[in-house]
This record gives sequence, C-alpha cells and structure tokens, in this order.
Amino acid sequence: MEKHARTTSGLEPAVLTEIYRQMARIRAVDKAIQAGLSGGKFFFSYWPMTGQESIPAVLSQLVTKRDYMVTTYRGVHDHVAKGVPLEGLFAEALGRIDGVNKGKGGSPHISDPPSGSMLTTAIVGAGAPIANGLALAAQLRHEDRVTIVNFGDGATSIGAVHEAMNLAGVWKLPVIFLCQNNQIGEYTFIPDYTASKDFASRAAGYGFKGVRLDACDVPSFYLGMKSVVDQVRRGDGPVFVEAVMQRLGPHAGVGDNLELAPDQLKAAKENWAVPRTRALLLEAGIPEKEIAAIEEAASVEVDRAIEKASASKVTPQSETLVDVFADGTLPPRRGHHPKREAEAAPSGETKTGLMLEGILSAQTIALESDKNVFLLGEDIGDPPGGVFATSKGLQTKFGKDRVRPTPIAEQSIIGAGIGAALVGMRPVAEIMFNDFAGVCLDQIFNHAAKQRYMSGSASHVPLTIRMMVGGGTGGFGAQHSQSLEAWLTHTPGLKVTFPSTPFDAKGLLLSCIFDDDPCVQLESIKLLRGVRGEMPVGDYRIPLGVAKVRREGTDISLISYGWQVPECLAAAEALQKEGFSAEVIDLRTLVPLDYHRVLESVKKTRRALVVHAATQFCGFGAEIASTISEELFSKLKAPVSRLGADYAPIAYSREIETNQIPSTKPIVERARSLLTYEN
Amino acid sequence: MSTQLMIPRLEMAMTEGTIAEWLVADGTQVKEGDMIYVLETGKATQDIAAPASGRLVQKGTVGEVYPVGTEIGEIV
Repeated sequence: MEKHARTTSGLEPAVLTEIYRQMARIRAVDKAIQAGLSGGKFFFSYWPMTGQESIPAVLSQLVTKRDYMVTTYRGVHDHVAKGVPLEGLFAEALGRIDGVNKGKGGSPHISDPPSGSMLTTAIVGAGAPIANGLALAAQLRHEDRVTIVNFGDGATSIGAVHEAMNLAGVWKLPVIFLCQNNQIGEYTFIPDYTASKDFASRAAGYGFKGVRLDACDVPSFYLGMKSVVDQVRRGDGPVFVEAVMQRLGPHAGVGDNLELAPDQLKAAKENWAVPRTRALLLEAGIPEKEIAAIEEAASVEVDRAIEKASASKVTPQSETLVDVFADGTLPPRRGHHPKREAEAAPSGETKTGLMLEGILSAQTIALESDKNVFLLGEDIGDPPGGVFATSKGLQTKFGKDRVRPTPIAEQSIIGAGIGAALVGMRPVAEIMFNDFAGVCLDQIFNHAAKQRYMSGSASHVPLTIRMMVGGGTGGFGAQHSQSLEAWLTHTPGLKVTFPSTPFDAKGLLLSCIFDDDPCVQLESIKLLRGVRGEMPVGDYRIPLGVAKVRREGTDISLISYGWQVPECLAAAEALQKEGFSAEVIDLRTLVPLDYHRVLESVKKTRRALVVHAATQFCGFGAEIASTISEELFSKLKAPVSRLGADYAPIAYSREIETNQIPSTKPIVERARSLLTYEN
Repeated sequence: MSTQLMIPRLEMAMTEGTIAEWLVADGTQVKEGDMIYVLETGKATQDIAAPASGRLVQKGTVGEVYPVGTEIGEIV
C-alpha cells in the first residue's frame, strides 16, 4: 500500500468534515434500510456496503455532477455521495412511481443522469465496458470529465472487466477502474477465487497505472485518489485503483458479515473508516457537538426522504409497456396491429449498386450529417475497411477518431457503444458475424435493450449494431453461419432489421442510426455482394416496422426476410408456372413487426407460409404462424406453415448445408402442399 | 406510535423464517439497534436489531416457522 502519514495534516479539516458528512449520510441510509428490512417495513433485496462508505465519500470531494459514474447493485453508497436525491432513491428501492427510475429499475438499477450516476448493473463486471463508452464520449467531445466505474473485487475475475481494461489502455480513455476490494466475492474469499496477490498490478499488463490504496485511512486515501483523478482528468489515460477495506455486512440481507471469524470482524470494525474519521475530526479540533449535528442532519434527511418515498404510489400496471421503446405504441401485443405509413417513393438522383454500397453510403451520410455518429468494430479501419469492406475508405475520409478499429473483444465493443450512446452519441458498432452475439449478448440484452426501461426513460441507448449473417455462401462452418435473429427479437427493447435489397439496407440503416432505441441490423453476407439494386444517392429513411409486398399474388402468402426473400421470389416464379399465384411479403423489420400488412395479405390469399434461414424449431416463424392462426383461423384454407433450417448446427459439408437451410425447391414443395391441402 | 416487527426478507430466496431465540424478554425497554431476536433461515441464523426504541411486545413463538411478512411482535 502507498504510505502516507496518518494525520489530518495532509488534509484540510474542512475537507475532512465534508467527507465525513457524506459518510454520515451513507451511514444513515444504510441504517434506515437495515432497520426497515429487519422490521419488515421494507421488502426488497439489499446488498449492504457497510465498511465501504469512505470510497464515494472521498470521491465526492474530487468529482462533480459533470463527471460520470457507473456502479453495481452494491452501490447505494456511491449514489448517495454522487448526489442522487434520497427521496427518489428510496422511492425507487420501494418500486414507487416517484422513484428516480419510476420504480422500474429498483435498487439494483439506479440511473440518475442529472447527478452523473449513469448506470447501475446487477451483472458483475458488466459496467466496465460501458464506462469506457462514457469516457470515450468525453474524450471525443474534448471535455475534461472523468468517468469512474465501481465494482467489487469479485468482478476482477470476469472477462468484461479485462476486455474493458484492455480497450481503455489502448484508447487512453479518461476512466478510473475503481475496484472496491472488500476482500470477499459474495461468499468466497480471495485466496479461493484468485491466485493474484493483488489486483492493482494487473493494470501494468494492460499498459497503464494501478494503485492499491487503504480506504480505511481517509487522509491518505484522499491524497491517493486526488492524484489519480488529476491524472485522468489531465488526459493521461486510465488508472486502476484497488481501494482496500473489509465489508462489514453480509453479501445480501442485514447485520454483520458472518463469513468473517469473530476476531476478524472485531478487527475490521476497529479499522472501519467511519469511526476512524470521526476520531480524526475530534483530534483536529472539530467539536463533538458539530459532528453530532452532521449525523443528526443526515438522519433527519433520510427520515424525511423515506416518509415522502413511502407516500408515493406503487408503480401501476398501466406502466408495463411504457419505456420499452421511446414510442409506447411499438411493443407487440395481442390483437394490436397498427398500420404504419410506408416510405415515400424515392426522389432525386439514384444509382445502381451492391447492398454493400448501400451500407457504405448510409454510414457516410450519417458520419457527414451528425458529429455524434462514430463507427467501431474489428478491422473496420483502412485497410481493409472491414472484413466485408462495409466501411472501406471511411477511416481515410473521416479519421481515426470517428472510424475506430477495436481489439477482438465484442463485449468491449458493445459496451463502449452503450456508454457513448447514454450521453447522446450515435455509435454504429459492427459485429463481424451474428454468431459472435454469444460473446457480447450480456451487453446487448441486459444493458442496451433494458436501459430505457430500467431507468424509466431517465436514459436511453441510441446504439446501432450491424451484424453480418452467414448462410447460403457455404463453407463458413457451424460457428459462422447461423441466423440468430430470434435471440434478439425475444429480448424486449431491441429493434431488429433484416434487409433483402440495397435500397432497404441503406434506408433501414439510416433509420436505425437516427433512432433513439438500440437497433440491430442483420446483413446477409450472401446479399452484400450478391444483389444489386437502385437506390437514391442521398439521405432517405425507411420507417421501422413497415413490411413490403415484393410480388403480389392471390393464392398464398410467402412471408420472409433477409436472404430468404430472393428464394421466395424464385419459388413464386416457379409456382406461377404451375398456375399458382404467390404473394411475397418482405418483413424488412422484425421488431417492430408489421402485422398489419402480414394479416392483410393472408386475409386475401387465405394461405400462409413463413420462411427463414434460422432453425425452424422455436424460430421467429413460429411467432408469425401462431399469430396468423389466431387472428385468421376461420378464413384459412390450410394450416399456417413454417419452413426453417433443420434442427442441427450448420454443417461444413456443402451437401448438408445447402439442404438443411430452405431454398427455392423446398419452398415450392411446401407451398404446393398448402395450395393443394384438403380437409 | 408503535413499530411492527415482521419476519424480514433477508435474502432473495427467503420465503419463511423461524424465531430461534428471543434475546430480550417480553416487556423489556429496548433501544433502536439493540439485538432483540435470532432469526433462523434455510441458510443461516442472523441477529435482528430493534428498528425503533420502546417496549418490546413479543407475539411470535420460538421454534415456529413463519412466512416472510408475518407480524411476530411490536415495539410500543
């Protein structure tokens, strides 16, 4: 540990008093929560931070509301010291409408942007990649804000933290990785979960400074933190701080930390920063009366906050679908099939190009028209401009700040996108293959998708993720060929597009980038270079949630998206030769889904087949088929059918791959069976 | 004003608890923060502090299993 003389001499008594004021407020909150839980007055989960008060209390004297903070579920002390209003904090913990997040996030998911408390995660370690994004936004905007991400020692084991540290190091981000080392990860002590002697020394491996500080010795901790905050604010890159103390409470619940032996607990309480700091104040000549008044004021503030919070209404059921998206009419619900306006016919100069050129053009327009737009992803710089060349030339044109190649670390990519989006940037993150969603899904579905809801729209994530989807080209193997759209559509809060033409790819991507909700655009590798089409040269938008009739017909509706649309069109052509008229509906957007146009088509044709490249079992087609059956049961001439891939990983063998995924011939066969169906 | 004592939910999975022992006799004056009873859950035992100061009125019985939220006493 860094050694400092243990006196108040290094610290103005006035500063120490302010630190103690925050410690007293945190103690009053902690005590009130524990009393409320013990007395049965409160029923919520609580992860006490008793013993850790000094960390945010000291920081409160070094940062302002302009500085960003991310913390974890054991973070009430962080919120109190950062300035989150106590009334809103308690109301939130109680699930009330006047909570800072309308009672939708609760104590493990506090967000209060006005105080700089940007996000609270209940997924251990997941805040670190997001903090990078906040820091990146400040860096790109040339602001001197510092971002602090708090996490426990337990989080040092998880990959997200390592990915985040690596990215922060290489981009020299103004972020402090603040490990509140309370020496026990939930119920497991340090020697049982890591062989590391300390955590601070890990930072050197990522090319930046790490310091280990004693958080129980407040004057030395203040001086240590001050030098860290100053360094990061100057723009000298990230610092990892290991702030050491002992957690005095249990992992969850109330009372003492019974995992500690009685003598350990006794020693920890003697070393506890709260009484030690109080003693220092007395030593410095602050009268007992003055200290008692600070404590009393904290207690009164907390009592008033609880009283007001308790009077607030429990957040009502009518709020269920509010805050899923910016537009409350978008969440799908039974029997609700609104008609959304289609795009106007394009005007102005057009050109013919590949889908790839449409994607490039959309990103170019977005980068030109809004300084908040930037791109990040693996290999997206020049050369090669993306492994599929979807950003070719953009780094050369827009520079390294705005077109940012990343480490091969998808959690760090999505996390940085989320963090920057939280403060109004519009990042476009590329994930090279849909299959890699697996290594960053926590960031996508637990954070990007849920932040608007968990924060009661106190914040939102205007992030766009582009993912390339294999299939139909052959030879990529089982881990680079999947169509995993159902993973995304099954997560409330994400919008998902899957274009089949260059025109749509460009217009949908521009809509995604300028949408205020997180969007994922799935781009078929087969179509990127496999389809040419006409598109306007300038900016145009295709509204999300509007399907397109690709071919009109009267006998059956073929409903599809992505690279299966051309297969359906070929199937319709073949069916025409047999005397059947097939209508082809291209969904274009999967969420929000255009049930209006789907149902209108099937009302007319009275037969429906949903086709997709994804595994048929539990695929997106099941949702559509089920809804058509429910809505149009009496009108149907045949059962609604689905055609997707066989239930097997995508094989390397060309013969298996081309046969396990739908193509023109099996689509024709299935359609024919429906067209000739007899009861 | 009296303060109810209810079986608290101390951890996410907790649905019921048992009073293992009253640490303070019925009718005693207690101070807020004094340990007043021992609560036994599936996982552990935990001393429970008085949420307020006053006279303890015991209502729950040692050894009985109570669902979370059951009133087991009062501080008056």
